[in-house]
Amino acid sequence: MSWRQIYLVLRREYMTRIKSKGFIAATILVPVGFVAMFGIGILISVWDSDITFEIGVIDQTEALAPSLEELNAERYTDYSDLPEDSLRTLIQQEQITGYMILDEEHITSDKTLELIYSGSGGIQLLNSIESDMREVIREERLQRAEVSQDIQNIFETSVSLNSRRLTAEGEEEEDDTAFFTIVGMAMGFIIFFAIFGYGGYIMRGVIEEKTNRIVEVITSSVKPIELLSGKMAGVGALAITQFGIWIIALFGLTTIAGPIAASLMSDQSSQMTDAMGAAEQAEIPAFLDIPTIETSLIIYFILFFILGYMLYSSLFAAIGSAADSETDTQQLMMPVTIPIMLAYFIMFHAWRSPDSTLSVISSLFPFFSPIVMITRIAITEVPFWQIGLAMLLMVLTFIGTMWLSAKIYKVGILSYGGTASFKDIAKWIRQ
Amino acid sequence: MATIEVENLSKTFGKTVAVNHVSFEAHEGRIFGLLGPNGAGKTTTIRMINYIIPQDSGEITIKGLRVSPKTQKLIGYMPEERGLYKKMKVGEQLMYLAQLKGLDATTAKKNIRYWLERFNAADWHSKVVGELSKGMSQKIQFISTIVHDPEIYIFDEPFSGLDPINSELLKEIIIELREKGKTILFSTHRMEQVEQMCDDICLFNNGKVVLTGNLRNIKKEFGKNTVLLEFQGDGSFLDELEDIRINNRSTNFAEIRILNGSSHQEILRKAMEQAEVHKFQLVEPSLNEIFISTVGEDNIKNIEALQA
Repeated sequence: MSWRQIYLVLRREYMTRIKSKGFIAATILVPVGFVAMFGIGILISVWDSDITFEIGVIDQTEALAPSLEELNAERYTDYSDLPEDSLRTLIQQEQITGYMILDEEHITSDKTLELIYSGSGGIQLLNSIESDMREVIREERLQRAEVSQDIQNIFETSVSLNSRRLTAEGEEEEDDTAFFTIVGMAMGFIIFFAIFGYGGYIMRGVIEEKTNRIVEVITSSVKPIELLSGKMAGVGALAITQFGIWIIALFGLTTIAGPIAASLMSDQSSQMTDAMGAAEQAEIPAFLDIPTIETSLIIYFILFFILGYMLYSSLFAAIGSAADSETDTQQLMMPVTIPIMLAYFIMFHAWRSPDSTLSVISSLFPFFSPIVMITRIAITEVPFWQIGLAMLLMVLTFIGTMWLSAKIYKVGILSYGGTASFKDIAKWIRQ
Repeated sequence: MATIEVENLSKTFGKTVAVNHVSFEAHEGRIFGLLGPNGAGKTTTIRMINYIIPQDSGEITIKGLRVSPKTQKLIGYMPEERGLYKKMKVGEQLMYLAQLKGLDATTAKKNIRYWLERFNAADWHSKVVGELSKGMSQKIQFISTIVHDPEIYIFDEPFSGLDPINSELLKEIIIELREKGKTILFSTHRMEQVEQMCDDICLFNNGKVVLTGNLRNIKKEFGKNTVLLEFQGDGSFLDELEDIRINNRSTNFAEIRILNGSSHQEILRKAMEQAEVHKFQLVEPSLNEIFISTVGEDNIKNIEALQA
């Protein structure tokens, strides 16, 4: 292997790609897309709170309707003086969403409630009506039973859980599991997309060299293994550059956007407190109170990203060399796509229970590690031996896949006219 | 000492023997032609000389050195399947390829400028290759092959796909390189190119060398057994002739190879009976004729015996 040749290939890959319109567009559009997605998410949640579902109540008990109105005046309206038919018409005219007829039996026994409605609102509406009803009926029953205030208070018990982690050093730390769950997911996602994205980059690059017919000119100066390593390193450097730009942009944006969002939010929450007439203090929204991400997590993220990239990109290059055109890669992609997809699904499991046997074993399996392990590291305390073992296994597997890919690549780049089958590839490996 | 020395070279792909105990030598200041039908093993041999694929057995030496990344740098290679990066600029591309061949940036820059000017292409330097016409990018392809000023040039089917202007240009370059004392090896399945240019040839068939040596000597060995006949009138007498093979025939011309020692006077007599003879010439066989009689079904065994 000649380092000079590898460096020349690397430099070409890096320089031509970094100047390409595609790269510049992706670098700008991906964060814009992220911001847009975030913004749309916030907009949806704001709109969502504006939509009210009006439920008419025909109350034969004369006790439940007032408490319902008190509980949620926007949702429940007492229509006890109207006949049932008029309420049906109101639903058809879309004046109200639905209605319920409440009678004595609902209080005295556990008679099933019946809601007649237009069908809009979804399960969320049904659940909240159910819990509203449970609350008012329980309250009414308690009142009729004339239990003491103490017991009534017992029923109004509300529990909140505040968790703190005890570190190995014996210090208590603020537990940000919820936050880090999101971070872990995000990191897993990013590695998942990055493997596909940059792997695809390499694959297309290899196919391009084949279809351009330049590869034989190149191989008369460069060994295939040098060409392969140079390409992988070049695109890897490109990936690091792109991430660097994004991270800097993210820091820049949060420093500007943080205060703006905070002021917007405090406006809104002060309006809300006015409307509700409660004396609640306007609090800074939780998501702006970002816990610090430890440097070690970022380092692990970078390490797992690089290892995962190396592991998979060599395989993507091999696929590219065996294919004759990009459209022919579908079938050849399967053995590479399946483990990435599996890792992706396991990530969702690891996200809920990061310490289950499945999560631990998958996070050690080299083809799953880059996605599953980083999610676990973010969410839970992973023993160092597991992280170390996962990295060691990935390095060893990388040596194996690189050896395999180099063999396929060496033959593949010079085979024109038709995409190779798995049988052909097996033959190339044995050669 | 030969510049390129191939000895007992073999290469097998699965069950196919692509190259079978091949030996030949190419010398300095001469043009060496590798001939044979498609699939005869020419490209495989050339790839092994270029150290692109490894041989199964046999020896290849370039100026006394075994093939290696080092010998690669002594060679300018234009493969049959050739191309350029479409999205790269001409100058960048030539610089990249020259540097891969071991040139430093300063020398590469100088050579690139020289060749671009030589081909009246100096203003293409910052053009993207994809924007060039086919003829233009062929010129860039030549430059990419010769820009590092190597001692050995290998062209695999160099004239396939070239427009007439570039064909002439390439011929000029090849002749010029020979005059500078470089070693040139090219492969082709088109005989007339070899006739015009080659000093030495090596004839391939089914992975084996069936004939190799100096082109003039080979032709002499075959003797003056070919008749060039120009005539006016009824050409049907040609069909009545026996023990001959007609290689080239049109309404008033025929190239006739005499087989089994039959008399050329007989041909002349029959021609005069039926047509007006304008020209009757006894010549050495064309390379095309040598190719057919060597590779063609009827004579191949004799030639092999001759070689042995």
